[in-house]
Amino acid sequence: MKKFLSAMLLLLVFTLVGCSSDKNTIQFWTPLTGEDGAYMDELVDKYNETDPEFKVEHVVTSDMYTKMYTVLNSGNGIPDLSIIHADRVPSFVKQDLLEPMTKVMEAQPEIKAENFLEEAWNAGNVEGTQYTVPLDIHSNAMYFNKDLMKKYGVENWLDDNVVTFDEMLSLQGKLEEGDYVLNDALISWVILAQIQNLGGSIEEGGKPAVNTPEMKQAIEAVKQLSDAGLMTPYGEDGYLMFQSGNVLFSTDGTWSSTGHAQVEGLNFGVTNIYAFEPSTFHNRASSHLFSMLTNEERTDEKEQGIADFLEFIRQNSIKWAEAGQIVASKEVVESPEYDEYMQSFFTSTPEEEESLYIYTYEHYPYIQEALDTYVADMIHGEIDVDTGLAEMQKFVEDKVSEGSLDIENAETEEATEE
Amino acid sequence: MNNKRNFAPIFFVGPHIILFIVFILIPSIYGIYASFTNWNLISDPVWVGLDNYKTILTDADSTFYAQFFNGLVNTLLFVVFTVPLMIIIPLMIAVALEHKEVKFTSLFQTLLYVPGLISISAAALIWSLIFNKQLGVVNNLFGSEHVWAATQPYAWLTIIVITVWAGIGGNMIIYRAGINGVSKDLYESAEIDGAGPVRKFFSITLPSIKFPLIYTMVMTTAGAFNVFAQPLMMTSGGPKQGTTVLMMYIRDLAFSHGESIAGIASAMAVLLGLVILVISAIQYYVMSRNAA
Repeated sequence: MKKFLSAMLLLLVFTLVGCSSDKNTIQFWTPLTGEDGAYMDELVDKYNETDPEFKVEHVVTSDMYTKMYTVLNSGNGIPDLSIIHADRVPSFVKQDLLEPMTKVMEAQPEIKAENFLEEAWNAGNVEGTQYTVPLDIHSNAMYFNKDLMKKYGVENWLDDNVVTFDEMLSLQGKLEEGDYVLNDALISWVILAQIQNLGGSIEEGGKPAVNTPEMKQAIEAVKQLSDAGLMTPYGEDGYLMFQSGNVLFSTDGTWSSTGHAQVEGLNFGVTNIYAFEPSTFHNRASSHLFSMLTNEERTDEKEQGIADFLEFIRQNSIKWAEAGQIVASKEVVESPEYDEYMQSFFTSTPEEEESLYIYTYEHYPYIQEALDTYVADMIHGEIDVDTGLAEMQKFVEDKVSEGSLDIENAETEEATEE
Repeated sequence: MNNKRNFAPIFFVGPHIILFIVFILIPSIYGIYASFTNWNLISDPVWVGLDNYKTILTDADSTFYAQFFNGLVNTLLFVVFTVPLMIIIPLMIAVALEHKEVKFTSLFQTLLYVPGLISISAAALIWSLIFNKQLGVVNNLFGSEHVWAATQPYAWLTIIVITVWAGIGGNMIIYRAGINGVSKDLYESAEIDGAGPVRKFFSITLPSIKFPLIYTMVMTTAGAFNVFAQPLMMTSGGPKQGTTVLMMYIRDLAFSHGESIAGIASAMAVLLGLVILVISAIQYYVMSRNAA
């Protein structure tokens, strides 16, 4: 019996040892589930085929951030490299969870700002220090149904690449039953673009600003479209309705092009998110960023290995365009093959590149959450706009104050010690 | 030889005890501790005493107060809507399947049990298509024009339908097993005394399966309080947060995109746990008292 017990113990020890990472592989965590993960797998496999000193092991984790917190807390099993979203960077840096990319950039001199889309590169720059290397920008995008636009004779709307509120409103009362001008997919992203179009901001002196005149104007403008019967009704699957050919414009993401392309007979193209004026337009975006979580055990040699991998990605991430994302590497974006991809529209001119807007305000995630919770109800008239704005402001303020209470407490403790 | 005897019980209970300690006891204790702190999952928790509970329970201006009570009310609604159905429907099916003239009982049993084995996310995708306004069977069959997920009370209806559909099989099996254990002699003698089917059900079947009944009631209720996936998948908590249950708020607070607010989330979870504990205890007490 004792033998059995010790055998069990040994087994347990071996299993636990098996968990710890191999010295000569780069543990690479991403939140890329589904097809995105498969494309990343292909990229990683190609890199490993080059027989590098440090092979990369790609681990897709669906609830990656929760797992990150766990390993950071325990200090065990921290991945060598990971992909995080742009909106995580400010709070991760504030909490000292990210290692700067300084050594990686020294090891591979081509990993530098000039070689990447500016907005994506800057998303990882906090107070002059570069914490991330971008893989892509994934942006809000507006797909249009070419056949429907022809049917209603509005193809000229696209002449300046920006569809305006007024243009859409001109179709009021002219639609056949069951047809709609636009859907409400990713509507909170659309609102966030309008705030930029109106010259507004989501922060005021470091404090979150949700209940602002610009936010109100943006929401009311979209609500006007809904009130005019131009928007797909509340709660209906506007994305599906676009694919079934009943909606002129779908405001979803660059990555949806692959899904739309699979729909037989859907004749579609991509353009900017609608705006007030053709001269001022934005597309709210985010970015997948390579980053290194703080880990003392990461050797300099391994950082060199990471640099090699990132350089390989910079040169070869055309594969990533297949996932529908705007690749961040300029070398890829400027290559002729990239033009085949629909999302190349967003890097076709300097103005287009500038339209991609990534929010980097520290408490932006709370604001996004508030918008996701309230905006659909507001634009479809389920709740009053002013009430909704006040509730959203409160929602964000309460979360901010709760999220940062520990710092205040820590400060008072220090004060008393003094 | 003696050694062996001493070890044997440990080997039987040991694995369970270890799993219980590692996955239930320690996390629970840590969760209760976290509820008295301010914690973002990364830096060290800061002790704040009863502050979190005060905010949730008394500060009527706070978002967390509004979320907690909205979530609790919606959770209670879910419990009230689904638990009786999840008890009565399986019981009726189990009794019906006992009837002598019912054929293919195992087939029916399998058909009713299988939905419980399907992942709730996959099932929710199928059901949301069934309830889809344009493509859905429901609207085409009944000629209704509702957007189910965005109009009350239909939003609740979709959630209840999928829950009952997925949940009746498990309880039914337990009832069938219970009913099979009842001596046939009792029914025969009741028949001789002239008892009808209704009388037989209430006087023989029900009292004989009181333990399975208590068990399923307590477990179904506790399970219903922990509802999460169905409203998340079917309605995303809408319309107007009308189907956002407490677990959804708890998860969003602790594991959403922003910095984690795990202290408040833990406090809400502890309060939910207390509610479940109290209600289960009352149920158990009332049922076993009446049955005794």
